[in-house]
Amino acid sequence: MSHKLQQILQVTKWEFMYFFKLKQELIGKAIMLAIGLLIYFWQSTSFFEPEQYVIATPSAMNLTQLPEPLLLKRVDASKAELLTQLEQEEIDGILILQAQAGEALQFELITTGKMSWQNEVEVALTQFYSNELAQSFNLSAAQLALLQQPVSVSNQYTKDAVKETHNQSSMTAFGVMLLMLIGIFTSFGQIFVSITGEKQQRVTEQLYSCMSAQTWIDGKIFGQMLHCLKAMLSTLFSFLLAMAFIQVVVKNEALDFTMIDFAMLPWFTLFAIVGLYMATAFMAAIAAAIDDPNHSGKTGFMMIPILPIVIAFMIVDSPSSLAVDILSLFPLTAFVVMPVKMALIEVPIWQVLCALVSALLGCYLIRVAAGRLFKAGMVMYGKEPSIKDMVRWVCKPE
Amino acid sequence: MPDLLQVTGVSKQYVSVKAVDNLSFSVKQGEIFALLGPNGAGKSSLVRMLVGFTYPDSGTIAVNIDGQAYQSIPHQSLGYLPEDRGLYAEKTVQQNLLYFAKLRGVEKNAALAQIESWLTQFDLSDRANERLKSLSKGNQQKVQLISAVLHKPKVVLLDEPFSGLDPINQEKVVVFLEALKAQGMTVILSAHQMAMVEKLADRMLLMNHGQAVLYGTLAEIKQDVGVGIDITVSFSEATNYAALNLGNYKVACTQLSQSKIKFELSDSSELNLLLADLSKSTTLQGIETKTMDLHQLYLKAIESHQGKVQSQENAHVS
Repeated sequence: MSHKLQQILQVTKWEFMYFFKLKQELIGKAIMLAIGLLIYFWQSTSFFEPEQYVIATPSAMNLTQLPEPLLLKRVDASKAELLTQLEQEEIDGILILQAQAGEALQFELITTGKMSWQNEVEVALTQFYSNELAQSFNLSAAQLALLQQPVSVSNQYTKDAVKETHNQSSMTAFGVMLLMLIGIFTSFGQIFVSITGEKQQRVTEQLYSCMSAQTWIDGKIFGQMLHCLKAMLSTLFSFLLAMAFIQVVVKNEALDFTMIDFAMLPWFTLFAIVGLYMATAFMAAIAAAIDDPNHSGKTGFMMIPILPIVIAFMIVDSPSSLAVDILSLFPLTAFVVMPVKMALIEVPIWQVLCALVSALLGCYLIRVAAGRLFKAGMVMYGKEPSIKDMVRWVCKPE
Repeated sequence: MPDLLQVTGVSKQYVSVKAVDNLSFSVKQGEIFALLGPNGAGKSSLVRMLVGFTYPDSGTIAVNIDGQAYQSIPHQSLGYLPEDRGLYAEKTVQQNLLYFAKLRGVEKNAALAQIESWLTQFDLSDRANERLKSLSKGNQQKVQLISAVLHKPKVVLLDEPFSGLDPINQEKVVVFLEALKAQGMTVILSAHQMAMVEKLADRMLLMNHGQAVLYGTLAEIKQDVGVGIDITVSFSEATNYAALNLGNYKVACTQLSQSKIKFELSDSSELNLLLADLSKSTTLQGIETKTMDLHQLYLKAIESHQGKVQSQENAHVS
């Protein structure tokens, strides 16, 4: 391994570990693990040993059964007696038919508190009510099914093969974009603290005597990218855990991750990594030009990498426009516009590859510019360079 | 000894300030070379060019290490203590030192052994696992010095290595620098502590307004300046210097008491003649002599150069 590569790895490790707090990470992961275990055991218990909820009804109606794990128990008792049984937890609920004959059916469902199975009772009762009405109108089962079928509109496009709205691809693409935003915001805070901190602690010249500015910034970018990826993965796992919790614990359903397009995910991830590199390199370069973090006017410039993502959100309604075609191949926006385009319409593979090459070219240009800005900015104390100075450093390095 | 560094006609301008002005000098391999000069003389600008942070507007810097030519001291051969210095305050002493050693390609175990050895030498071995910010400023400076030499560089460039240290620790740094020299390293340092420089430096360069004012060994410099000598003479009876016939000498006299006069001779070689002349007309009771040390040399040279610069500026304005 070359000495330069070793230096990049050393800086990457140092940069990552500088902000990595093992104790906090362990606590966070332990909490996530506990939630995961809870979900697992809840699911196991719920599926293999289903609990039964007894709903008592004194009503004279045709409804004979409710879906599992609910059990409808017809009893010959007054409401007061049933309430006593409910208080003593002999039954889980009381269902009373309140109005009938020419009116909409009205039921009263009495429980001790808010129960997760209440919705299921309502769905079953709605089904029962529809069947009752169909019978009273002499409708057959097939006619009733037709009546309940929603209108279907099939959109056809002559120019592009537009994918259906809210498909897996778009859900995945926007998910990755949101995660990228989280990654960029993580990097924003840390790289700002890291670089301005190194300037304030006067460690920069010592580091420059060990390695080139480009080697240093490369290491810093990779270190911060690792943090971005860690933040994105943590957020993703937290989100998936939360979803699993809702599905399994709250709704008593099976785990379902079908909204993720696993076929597109590698492409989106690749573009996201390229985008993170660009954003981090850009922010590092700007941070190097900041002398006093409390009074600098340049902090706002560090948010510029958010712009391509904002643009990507804006073009969702017109994925076939000329602007999208251009932006999806432009080096500084390709990393986010192309994935969105891919999520919304079918894109030929050559365009995807062109966008990737273009984005990599953007990475290279930003890397070189950032290295030059970094070199000049990091040894400048007590005075902040103007935008003109910064442009000069990039175009005409010393 | 061959030249390790050759600076020829180097100039560097920052906006309206000429930081280094047509400067030429050389540093020999294995010597301790001192850069002297008042604040703003251009020492740090020169140092930054030597380590490759900035480049000369004109002139050349030639570095020769193991037969290889460079335009600045290469990273792998350089140990550097900058003027604006600091390490990572939140990290421990050992973490800081290990990081810099690894960046310079030192293998971990070798680096740990080196760290232990240097920390012991500077009485800091029991503080290796403390955060840097918990150390005094002087001790932090010692850690920084160690970080500059862990990789056994060919050239050690130290900007103000004595500043912020008490006399005991200044002496430790002197021993440290002598040890580096003994290991064959070339040491270039800038300092204001003339006594330390006089004790350590093989050769020196005195700068003012970016220009070379004095350059060479201490003996060569003294010769160049034409160093004088101060003599305080006690006479057996009241003697007034105005009554003495001293027209042949370049001498300044101060009447210290009725029978005591201080003579400041510009040329020390005239000392014996002067004493002989004095003893002819009076009876000498006691003589005290004092030669000019580096500190006085420095002040004299800077004062003289300042005058030249001022007169050049006046001529330019008129």
